[in-house]
Amino acid sequence: MISKKICMLGSFAVGKTSLVQRFVHSIFSDRYLSTLGVKISKKELDLDGTAMTMVLWDLEGKDRYTEVNVSYLNGAMGFFVVADGTRRETLDIAMELRDKALTLVPGQVPHMLLINKADRRAAWEISQDDIRDIVAMGLPVIETSAMTGNGVEYAFTELGKAMLGQ
Amino acid sequence: MDDRRELERLRALLFERELRTLDRLRDQLDALDSFSDRQRRAECVSDIIAEALAIRGRRDEKLNSALEPVVDDIVKNALRTKLPEFTEALFPLMGPSIRKSIAEAFRGMLQSFSKSMEIAFSLRGLRWRLEALRTGKPFSEVVLLHTLVYRVEQVFFIHSATGISLAHVTGEGVASQDADMVSAMLTAIQDFVQDCLASGKEGELESLQHGDHTIMVEKQASAYLACIVRGTPPTRFREQLRACLEDLSVIYFSELAAFKGDIAPFEASRPYLEALLEARYQDDKAISPRGKIILGLLGALLLCLLGYYGAGAYKYHVLKREAREALALLSREPGLLISYNAPTGNGTWEVLIFRDQFAAAPEDVLKDNGLDPASFEFEAVPYVSYQPEMVSRRLKADLKPPSTVELTLGADGILVLSGTAPVNWILEARRRADLMPGILGVDATGIYDPRMRELAEMAREVESTVVEFPSGQDVPAQQYQASLNQAVNKLVEMEQLAAGMDLSVTLTIYGHADATGTEKRNYEVSQARAKTIAAMLYAKGSSLPVLTYGLGSGYAGKTSGADQASRRIEMRVQVFRNGEMLRE
Ligand SMILES: Nc1nc2c(ncn2[C@@H]2O[C@H](COP(=O)(O)OP(=O)(O)OP(=O)(O)O)[C@@H](O)[C@H]2O)c(=O)[nH]1
Ligand SMILES: [Mg+2]
Repeated sequence: MISKKICMLGSFAVGKTSLVQRFVHSIFSDRYLSTLGVKISKKELDLDGTAMTMVLWDLEGKDRYTEVNVSYLNGAMGFFVVADGTRRETLDIAMELRDKALTLVPGQVPHMLLINKADRRAAWEISQDDIRDIVAMGLPVIETSAMTGNGVEYAFTELGKAMLGQ
Repeated sequence: MDDRRELERLRALLFERELRTLDRLRDQLDALDSFSDRQRRAECVSDIIAEALAIRGRRDEKLNSALEPVVDDIVKNALRTKLPEFTEALFPLMGPSIRKSIAEAFRGMLQSFSKSMEIAFSLRGLRWRLEALRTGKPFSEVVLLHTLVYRVEQVFFIHSATGISLAHVTGEGVASQDADMVSAMLTAIQDFVQDCLASGKEGELESLQHGDHTIMVEKQASAYLACIVRGTPPTRFREQLRACLEDLSVIYFSELAAFKGDIAPFEASRPYLEALLEARYQDDKAISPRGKIILGLLGALLLCLLGYYGAGAYKYHVLKREAREALALLSREPGLLISYNAPTGNGTWEVLIFRDQFAAAPEDVLKDNGLDPASFEFEAVPYVSYQPEMVSRRLKADLKPPSTVELTLGADGILVLSGTAPVNWILEARRRADLMPGILGVDATGIYDPRMRELAEMAREVESTVVEFPSGQDVPAQQYQASLNQAVNKLVEMEQLAAGMDLSVTLTIYGHADATGTEKRNYEVSQARAKTIAAMLYAKGSSLPVLTYGLGSGYAGKTSGADQASRRIEMRVQVFRNGEMLRE
């Protein structure tokens, strides 16, 4: 029996809550209800025969000017930074949040960058070159769509496996 | 007057017959009124009374209203005077329904709850019964809620940093929540409070209030307990909570310190948590004087017991603190690994400890730190630790390095040997260290044996000695005698030096000839030249193993004609250790 704490980080309205909803309840809503503080969900999954309970901490969206609530990151055993493919600046904020998070949790804590809203790729402001640069830095990148569900299950499962390898 | 008389006469004349009929009728009516005739009248009414009542009853309510008070009176009167008969008559009907209603009142009540009976028949009981009907809750629950002082409904054991639920217990009949979610949320709330209010300052959230529920939190660095309590718990409950958490943090010391999400080991903490699930109900029954005496006696007995157990509890408390301190100390000691530990029940703490052969004895660690080892029963299980400190102790014990040697264990698991040591030690150390747990490789480039260098230097001198022969002869030319002598002396010296190092030296002598003469002759003479040198060596008392080869003219140099430089010998010195060649 393994339980893991996972945090969702990212700018406003990038789809953190939507990704969790999609993963945990397989639903999507196009209504935007901004998260205040933190919203907790959980999901039990089976990773190649190992049962894992993921306790998901969906944190309130941040921009350049707001401070991360550092305590929520305490003891995180894995985290996602989420960017919105249709808004370039959310990628920069995601990378800043990642740096900030790595000062608060041990460096080997598994984490990934999710670029969300893949269903609206035509409107993306983030290019494949941007993504290649980030992958080259050693940060895994997964493109997701909370709307269609593309990549969501995969992303959480990959993070789960990475955490098991710890 | 006459007129009146006249009128009478006229009337008699006119109505004589009618008057007589009237008289007869009056007589009959008078007779009807008289007692003797009542029987007959009753008979007359009786003929028609049933029909009359029926007709009137159909017509309107008046008959009912007229009869009601009368009947009422009749029944009351009858009940007053004839109760036994009535009861007897009604019992078959009422008995079962009364029994049923009483049984209903008791159903669902907690057995231990003796007040229920009293309540079931009291006025208050009736009120609560109505409340139960209204709210749809079982009566027993309504009673419990009204008489409840406090009740610990749920206990959560939570890992502080991650908010992960380690274990969770729920009181009987309490609807339980998802422990994973509750634990995370409670932790988030505390994080929030920490971030917003107490930033930097020491201080913890101790309780949260919601309606008549309180969430009590008791916290230590690595884990905390949270209880959902209905009502107001006594202050001693906080103590209980603290003591329980202390127990758990001692027992799970190592699991908590190295927590990576595996919650299986914490399943065993449930009995500790269940001990916290308690409830108390108010009991306001008046106590009789006799009861007071009994209570007084009980109280005295209780005091005695308290004295006895109180001392025990205090001792246990002290022991627990000691245990916590000791376990913290031992877990910092390299080569010791604490496993299962618990109080034994006879005033000691039992500890299963994995101990590396080269780790300090746990008893000594405690003594050195001013703790009394007598409070602990250690059961040591041997194990091999890879902690660098242990690996180097193991190295030192096993290799016994001379003082001229420095051992450095790198973070990459490579052992670096430096300094000087006998070659035998160096070789043995390399072999053994390579096999040692915790060592991934040995770097011996920085260590050498000075005598080995000396040997090598001497060997080089011997090998560079030039000895040439006159044509066809196997005795060296005169001018080479001196250097040859010197080389032979060197070899004797080497032989002695090597013997002191547990090494052996062998010499190989190759004889050469020039290209003149027959090939057979050339082999013979080259062989003879090598042998001459060997003989010189033996003549000096050496017992070096010497191999001699005559190589003829094939390796000499010039391929034809007479040549002084080709008429020579070559010497090769080799150093061996247990048959293994160290130097070519
Ligand atoms: N088209 C599309 N819309 C999405 C997707 N994911 C989220 N959205 C929409 O984006 C908006 C914001 O989504 P949220 O999930 O609330 O974003 P959030 O990151 O939780 O926002 P905060 O809580 O304010 O930080 C909502 O209107 C979502 O419906 C997606 O994959 N595709
Ligand atoms: Mg949100």
